[in-house]
Amino acid sequence: MRKADRIFGAVGLGLALWSYLESRRFHYMAEFTPGPGFFPFWVGVTLALLSCYLIYDSFRREPSKQDDKKTLPERHALLRVATILALLFAATGVMKFLGFPLTLAVFTTGILIILEHYSILKSVAYGVAYAAVTWFIFEYMMKMGFPKGFLGI
Amino acid sequence: MEVLSHLAGGFVTCLSPYNIWMAVVGAFLGTMVGILPGLGPSATMAIILPITFGMNATSAMIMLTSLYYGAMYGGSTTSILVNVPGESSSVVTAIEGYQLARKGKAGTALGLSAIGSFFAGTFGMFALAFTASTLAEFSLKFGPAEVFCLVLMGMFTIIYVGGKDITKSLMSMVIGLGLGTVGTDIVEGKARFTYGISELLDGVDFVILVMGTFGIAEVLESAEEFMKIEPMKVKFRDLFPRLAEVWQCRWAILRGTLVGFGICCIPGSGPTIASFLSYGVEKTVSKHPEKFGTGVIEGVAGPESSNNAAVCGAMVPMFSLGIPGSGATAVLLGGLILYGLKPGPLLFVENADFVWAVIASMFIGNVILIIMNLPMVPLFASLLRIPYSLVYPAILIVCIVGAYAVASGLFEVGLMLVFAICGYFMKKGDVPAAPMLMALIMGPMMERNLYQALNLAHGDLTVFIRRPISATLLTIIVVMSVIVATKRVRKARGIVREEEE
Repeated sequence: MRKADRIFGAVGLGLALWSYLESRRFHYMAEFTPGPGFFPFWVGVTLALLSCYLIYDSFRREPSKQDDKKTLPERHALLRVATILALLFAATGVMKFLGFPLTLAVFTTGILIILEHYSILKSVAYGVAYAAVTWFIFEYMMKMGFPKGFLGI
Repeated sequence: MEVLSHLAGGFVTCLSPYNIWMAVVGAFLGTMVGILPGLGPSATMAIILPITFGMNATSAMIMLTSLYYGAMYGGSTTSILVNVPGESSSVVTAIEGYQLARKGKAGTALGLSAIGSFFAGTFGMFALAFTASTLAEFSLKFGPAEVFCLVLMGMFTIIYVGGKDITKSLMSMVIGLGLGTVGTDIVEGKARFTYGISELLDGVDFVILVMGTFGIAEVLESAEEFMKIEPMKVKFRDLFPRLAEVWQCRWAILRGTLVGFGICCIPGSGPTIASFLSYGVEKTVSKHPEKFGTGVIEGVAGPESSNNAAVCGAMVPMFSLGIPGSGATAVLLGGLILYGLKPGPLLFVENADFVWAVIASMFIGNVILIIMNLPMVPLFASLLRIPYSLVYPAILIVCIVGAYAVASGLFEVGLMLVFAICGYFMKKGDVPAAPMLMALIMGPMMERNLYQALNLAHGDLTVFIRRPISATLLTIIVVMSVIVATKRVRKARGIVREEEE
């Protein structure tokens, strides 16, 4: 956990620097009031201070049981997480081409086959059912205007 | 007595079959909207408003207020079951509610939430009837300086909401404040952190962040292992809260009700601040504050009561002064004007029948909602018996739909996925996401009110201590800070003493 704290502290410092640099593009003060740069400036400064303290504290404190805990899971677990994220990004990317219901059907089927090892038939059945229910509620009943694909749905 | 006779007249009007039907429709729609993340009560009321033009004003208003109530009830369902808050005011419910669900006590959490909401709604209705004019006068004393201090007080509860590590909680909060600055600023209308992306001009929507860091991040963490998570075997008797548990929460419900109603009488506050403050209050008064975050029933009952009482509280300035207390009441106010009514002090005189019917309908709406929701509790809780491998694709689909609903664009879906990655690593690093969410909601309010307060005071910073209400609020913040600091120091000393021994 101490290593995680250092990484989070470093990320915090990066974000603080970004916020500070962004704040410099704007006025810090207007006539009577804080300007557009006021909040980003103080966000940057506060975040930098807190990040430095977190990093300092991670070196200073005695290691506890919590610190012995591994922050990231095993490789296979990370692979599963990465697969879900990849499928989500892919679904977002192809939605304009495939259309909303077809994308959801393919997405659900993909998850069930690749990650859960369901049979192809079962996965397709679940995929189609999920997509149909979602399309019926959100597109047919609520007219949310999802992207239509090459099939016209 | 006069109030009671007016109220009785209101009940006579709203108990007509047509008005009851409108309340049922509104309550049902609201519950659905509450369950679905992305489509809030304000947006739904705005969509439904044109449909109500053919109705008389009373029936239309009864439907809209029932919808608002229903959304507050429904928002807790997904918070408790799958850790995806349907509404911003339900974020805090997810903290304890989801932990309770994981312990197989989803029914208890859902039931307490419904009972607390019913009590709060009923109390709020009577409080609104009896105190509307007096409270409205007091709420007029709240200017930007007071609201700024109130938001600051809300921010302070982050120390309570966050995890054990205050530094990480504060960092999460500051990042949330930073996210709140994305978009067009209110001072000069300049675009901050947008880099030419037009979708960011309106800022980062709360729904995107909540579904990324709560919903999808939760799924990702659960998905680490091959889905051998056993479906929860919930005993039938655990599908309802026990009487002892309801009794245990009686004070939490009462406190939440008072906080919710009181806070939302102030224009511009809203149920989100109320629910967070209520959670902070529960943690402060609890004999076991260290157990908060692990599934404490008072942590569900208090905030849920609070956000329902807040609905009635927000009606006080709307009816009495014509000032909306929240986004949803702003839509209701628009509706009142469209129906040809004049919100303000004269509304109680010129359209007394209408006002009292709407106030009475809040009770009817509450009764309908508890009848509709309590029997559904076992059904909702039973959803946890379905294998998780089939549940999580559905959660992901709901998140995609919710993110898309924000602005009908895929950019929001992509942004949600980026937040999901951040949320996952935050979970791994033990960094709480709730403070970030809270700061994203309250940050822009804070900035706006700070700007307005200083503008009105010509830059004089003493405005915050010169005005009695803001000075009182600041004093409360200081006192609370001292109490928290003292508790921490005592705790640290205790640990050192134990180690020495």
